[in-house]
Amino acid sequence: MKSLYLIFQVYLAFAKKSFQRRMQYRVANLAGLTTNFFFLLVHVFVYTAFYAARTAPQPLDLDEIITYFVLCQVSFMLMPFWGTHSEVTSAIKDGSVALQLTKPVDFQTYWFADECGRACYYLLMRGLPTFLISILFFKVAIPQQLTVLTTFTVSMMLAIFMSNAITIAIFSSGFWTLDTTGISGMSYSIITLFSGMLVPIALWPEWLAHLARWLPFEGLIDIPFSIYLGKITGVEVWIAMGKQMGWTLFFVGLGRFLLTRGFSRLVIQGG
Amino acid sequence: MHNLTGYATNRQLGLIYMIEVDNLSKIFKVYHHRKGFFGSFVNLFSRKHHVVQAVDRISFTVRRGEIVGYLGPNGAGKSTTIKMLTGILVPTSGSVTVNGYIPHRQRKENAKRIGVVFGQRSHLWFDLPVQESFELLQRIYRIPEMQYRYNVEIFDELLNLGDFFRTPVRQLSLGQRMRADIAAALLHNPDVLFLDEPTIGLDVVAKARIRQFIQKINAEREVTVVLTTHDLDDVEKLCKRVILIDNARLCFDGELATLRRLLSTERLLSVDYAEVYPDISIPNAHVIHREGARAQYRFSPEEISTADLIGAILQKFKIVDISVQEPDIEELIKTVYEDNLTLERKLTEPISSDTQAN
Repeated sequence: MKSLYLIFQVYLAFAKKSFQRRMQYRVANLAGLTTNFFFLLVHVFVYTAFYAARTAPQPLDLDEIITYFVLCQVSFMLMPFWGTHSEVTSAIKDGSVALQLTKPVDFQTYWFADECGRACYYLLMRGLPTFLISILFFKVAIPQQLTVLTTFTVSMMLAIFMSNAITIAIFSSGFWTLDTTGISGMSYSIITLFSGMLVPIALWPEWLAHLARWLPFEGLIDIPFSIYLGKITGVEVWIAMGKQMGWTLFFVGLGRFLLTRGFSRLVIQGG
Repeated sequence: MHNLTGYATNRQLGLIYMIEVDNLSKIFKVYHHRKGFFGSFVNLFSRKHHVVQAVDRISFTVRRGEIVGYLGPNGAGKSTTIKMLTGILVPTSGSVTVNGYIPHRQRKENAKRIGVVFGQRSHLWFDLPVQESFELLQRIYRIPEMQYRYNVEIFDELLNLGDFFRTPVRQLSLGQRMRADIAAALLHNPDVLFLDEPTIGLDVVAKARIRQFIQKINAEREVTVVLTTHDLDDVEKLCKRVILIDNARLCFDGELATLRRLLSTERLLSVDYAEVYPDISIPNAHVIHREGARAQYRFSPEEISTADLIGAILQKFKIVDISVQEPDIEELIKTVYEDNLTLERKLTEPISSDTQAN
């Protein structure tokens, strides 16, 4: 037990330093905050226009849509898949992964800890400010039940873990392709669409929504936000979170497999 | 037989060899790339490649507390060897042990007992102050508080870390960064220190300081040091023994003095001519530098004696000054690389007459 605690402390220290490191770039953060808010405005205006012209009642009303996109902008930077991910990801690309391997740490866990510190930083410096500003300008729904808030928090954490696991798996392909621009560009489009980041899955045509439900990516955005909005309730919440957990484990496993295989055939850039 | 764990026994007995490399080879498959969006996807499945032998059946051993210069031109396979010794790369064939561990199988165990410095890249966290990086390393290697403080104090004394201990790494000068990096690699009292180009890009003063530090640490702590460098001053100041590799193969392993003796048949002759002559070639001597009226020749006394050469020059040209030098190691090693066979021939020939003379 004690050794497990010591190991945990190492990675906790990684996460803390990762947080601390980012505190140095406050001006950049302010610029980022503006960008978040700008994208929020774009979404809000587009949907307001759509809803003004709608003929039939929609599964989400306008306030819920706005809340959905506020949450999108709040969590955008928390997830390494969309946000600027940690430099660990570029480590494979530029070969500095070699340096990490000369230290007695598990690479995937190190990476994960680093991203957790990053997520905490962006929650404090980006997510919460975006949320607070949005409350001033829009009618943002806030769940009244404690159970909704707690399940949302857990689901959101799972979403961040999953985003992390997916990012690691994608960037691990860098061991084979060396240039991950293609593969990450392609995953970016697929995941952005099927996570519900552009359009909530509730608004999709039946057949496409059905496909989305079979893919892992709704766990990043659509599941936690639907829980927040009270669109998923009761047992379904547990099923949804089970799905998130299952897919997270799948991607952690995939990442681990790819990393292990990758290290054993490593071609370090700039030999 | 009261101790059944092999490692502990080995360590109690004290390993004679810190590093054992036997018939080590590494073959890389270099993949051909398709560019662009689809290309990178296709790359995942495509298998087109050619094979590069980066390290070819190299064997050597390093004793505890030795400093070895591991030298070779760019692309000779130096870094690949170091990476196999540190557990980053898996050898294609052959065996490696460091401190009794097989680095690529027991990467983390091995990592706890080695220190690594790559001159071109920093181990420290780019946007953290040096001190914070050190504290992180203290956690990673689980360095006891006493040892940590003691080491920081000693390293500060020798390398003046205090001047920039609270500065973020990205704001450090190259010399400061290098000092911090080397200190960082030694915080956990490693048994072996791998230094890959530790003085690259540094000024003379900074280089001297780092060399002194390495010497001191080696002498006081019995740290085994494997040094790869292009700076032959480093080698001269630090290493008694050098291992030379070229084209992935070992071409010399022995004392620096021996290498010098083997190759010092070649001499250099510097001449300052009175005017700039269009053609300054002399039979049996190679012009290796030429700048204005100044020229440098390389010649072998076996082919032409110094007196004859000077005579030949005086006959043809007017000179201001002339001097003969023994070549420095840089020239020596260049010769080895250019003409690997010469060295092999010389190594196999008996050198008894030479040794007796000494």
